[in-house]
Amino acid sequence: MKTKKTEAPLKLRPLKLPPHEKRKLGNGLTLHLVPRGPLPLVAVRLVMRGGSVWDPAGRAGVADFAARLFRRGAGGRTADDLSEAIDFVGAAMGGYANEENVVVSLSCPSKHLESMLELMGLVLLSPDFPEAEIELARRRTLAQLQNELDDPGALGERAWARAMWGDHPYGHETLGQKKSVESMSRADLVQFHQTRLSPTLGHLYVVGDIDVDRITNVADRIFGSWKGGPEFAPLVPDWDGPAKSGQVIIVDKPEQTQAQMRIGAAGVKRGHIDHFPLMVMNAVLGGGFTSRLIREIRVKRGLSYGASSSFDMMSGAGTFLVSSFTKTESINELIDVALDEVAKMRAKGPTTIEADTMKRYITGLYPARLETNEAVAGAIADVQHYGLPEDWISGYRDRVNAVTAKDAAIAAGKHLFDDKRVIVLVGNAEALAPKVQQYGPVSVVQPADLE
Amino acid sequence: MPKANPRSRPAPVKLQPALEAIADSVIEASLPNGLKIRLVPNSSVPTCSYYTFFKVGARNERPGITGISHLFEHMMFNGAKKYGPGMFDKVLESNGGSSNAYTSNDLTVYYEDFMAEALETVIDLESDRMKSLAVTPKMLASERQVVMEERRLRVDNEIAGMMDEELGALVYKAHPYRWPVIGWMGDIENIKREDCLEYFRTYYAPNNATVYIAGDFDPKQALALIKKYYGSIKAGPGTPPVLDAEPEQKGERRAEVHHPAQAHSLMIAWRGPKGDDRDTFVLDVVQYALSVGQSSRLTRRLVFDLEVAVGVSVDWTWRFDPGTFTVGLELKPGGTPAEAENALYAELERLGKDGLEARELEKAKNNLAATLMRELTTNSGRAHALGTYEMMLGDWRRGLALPSAYEGITSDDVKRVVQKYLGRERRNVVTLIPTNGAEA
Repeated sequence: MKTKKTEAPLKLRPLKLPPHEKRKLGNGLTLHLVPRGPLPLVAVRLVMRGGSVWDPAGRAGVADFAARLFRRGAGGRTADDLSEAIDFVGAAMGGYANEENVVVSLSCPSKHLESMLELMGLVLLSPDFPEAEIELARRRTLAQLQNELDDPGALGERAWARAMWGDHPYGHETLGQKKSVESMSRADLVQFHQTRLSPTLGHLYVVGDIDVDRITNVADRIFGSWKGGPEFAPLVPDWDGPAKSGQVIIVDKPEQTQAQMRIGAAGVKRGHIDHFPLMVMNAVLGGGFTSRLIREIRVKRGLSYGASSSFDMMSGAGTFLVSSFTKTESINELIDVALDEVAKMRAKGPTTIEADTMKRYITGLYPARLETNEAVAGAIADVQHYGLPEDWISGYRDRVNAVTAKDAAIAAGKHLFDDKRVIVLVGNAEALAPKVQQYGPVSVVQPADLE
Repeated sequence: MPKANPRSRPAPVKLQPALEAIADSVIEASLPNGLKIRLVPNSSVPTCSYYTFFKVGARNERPGITGISHLFEHMMFNGAKKYGPGMFDKVLESNGGSSNAYTSNDLTVYYEDFMAEALETVIDLESDRMKSLAVTPKMLASERQVVMEERRLRVDNEIAGMMDEELGALVYKAHPYRWPVIGWMGDIENIKREDCLEYFRTYYAPNNATVYIAGDFDPKQALALIKKYYGSIKAGPGTPPVLDAEPEQKGERRAEVHHPAQAHSLMIAWRGPKGDDRDTFVLDVVQYALSVGQSSRLTRRLVFDLEVAVGVSVDWTWRFDPGTFTVGLELKPGGTPAEAENALYAELERLGKDGLEARELEKAKNNLAATLMRELTTNSGRAHALGTYEMMLGDWRRGLALPSAYEGITSDDVKRVVQKYLGRERRNVVTLIPTNGAEA
């Protein structure tokens, strides 16, 4: 693309959005019903604000631990009995927590929807938390946490999260940490269930081959008697930016011939006014396959197979991450190129042609992000959860198209890091440490320190 | 390869209504140069998916150039005559699209997702590289480094990658499935430009390719465009056959990987039937009964009851020639491999002796049907699933008819197939031995 002329935004065909019915049950539970064919499948998600951010001190991971146990015994039915019923019809059902939400999800053939919703009600409202299942889950979670220390990528994420969040509750690893998992008791799980979940916080999304009125009645029958729990979810405390700003942390894996690199800095909250300019800017920097990071790191220098940058925007705070890997010997070249590309973008922003290209890329592919029932449920849930404008989905492509290169440049200057960043490396510390002193004070941690 | 004589179509079976609707929508065509085209129109979202399947993969390689299929896949993005280096993705992204590709033992598959209006551009881009790919020394040198880094990521620094590589060399003595798809490091370093050019002439000809388009487009117009852009590409000489000289395995084979790790783990594999063998579908049922869902046999027994494993996975990927049925067992720190192995073998023995209960059999079939349905929910999923079924089974219709094929499988079939393939004499075991004393 050698010419300098601006490319016109793509002419966009309208999104064929299925009708989205919002209904509230007497107890405050909100239903979001989206009838959508043609395949005989349904995706269901029950989402409540109450994720790991609100796990109490010393009990990090309790939300996820408890949610995973919902289906391991409920309403007097055993784990085996429930699993058999779920698996038999070709359904998938499970509870989990992420940083902000507790979720029970279900995916099933539509002809089994009602019986599966019955089971979903049972596992959500009446989990038994049998002692034997708690011990089993504890042993298994501890083993998984330890086995994960063999995965360089997972180690990188853990070290990064700690270096970024410090004591902030977004730093609670959702699975928890060794100590907290060891100390969790049945009373903790029961308390979680009683005090952090409630119909007023709950949103039930049902997307797929459904009859709206019928499902309303079924949902009312199953979830209508649910009472109690908190009226509101507490706010997420403010965050002052990376806890270990300016530092370099190496997770020592002496056997590695390749080093994983994660550079982290503060980003923005979800729904931030600069959301769309930042999205376009980041697509140019490290989003698509023609991004600057890919071009400089992979195409021009053959330093790595992958390189990307991303914003993670949550309701209370957000982060920015640059991620790549290279053979140990090339670590300086990789870090230098990555830092340099961020600095260049921060100083000048994208060119008009770059911004236009990425706008076409993002808007052209957007409809494909709403192709499955699960994706539609997720998109609607995000709008609800983050308090985004009602026309977020229908107006998404217009908002992307409204971004100018200048907007993106201003957003880059405002939000990309200067020197407030942390660098996390996973690899052979003895070889890496002397090479990376120039980027800040270096500390070496052992994988076991991250358990 | 027997592409000139498409297999006779299976007797018509009654498909489920949703699958029938998909089957009815498919339009088939081919060009005089041998290119096969399958159109799957559907206007539910204003995007398309475009898949090109080439019948070439690690199976078509030889020692010395292992990994060339995969390296070549990378080279396909590095410029052709009309669209030079870097242009493929640039043009695609600026037209509201994205691309990727993968290489397997049998196939190399390229795909694009894009807004419907960009169809002609995508056809132009894809036909340009099929017609006139440029393999320049400079791009090859740079891409070689990228692939070596990919190998370091996926194999040299990844325990599962190391074990899998060891397992392939254990199961196969003669067949090209013996080496990893990404290739041996020394071969990646030494593949010559001439090898790449030869590969291109032989395997990237239109008569070795099948194009699937799924999404919001006008089939007539699409066919006209395909003719316009691909019509002038010359047919290739045909591809040399791949001999399956693999001898019968006469006893258990074992290997160890010593590497720093928290816990032991195991990969245990048996050579199964070819992808289009009826026993393959029986092994699908076996795979699901053993490992899909918390109530599946191995999950329940090994993970929840005996706690000899933290996680269980069963992989049964169809291949042109006999592929591997692989069980992966993740142990907990301090766990004993022998205990986990014995528990697995006891379950397999029971399955071979008693088969599945009626309800378990039905459960596996229900889940296989649900999986098929879920594969078909997106344009990309439909193009990929139907294309893969055509490659593996000779006809995409056989893919949509799978629920009926599964329906006919009995507990006796399960017994017979487990006895035939998953026995002691035929097993291959790779054990990860932690070297840092963590195993205690």
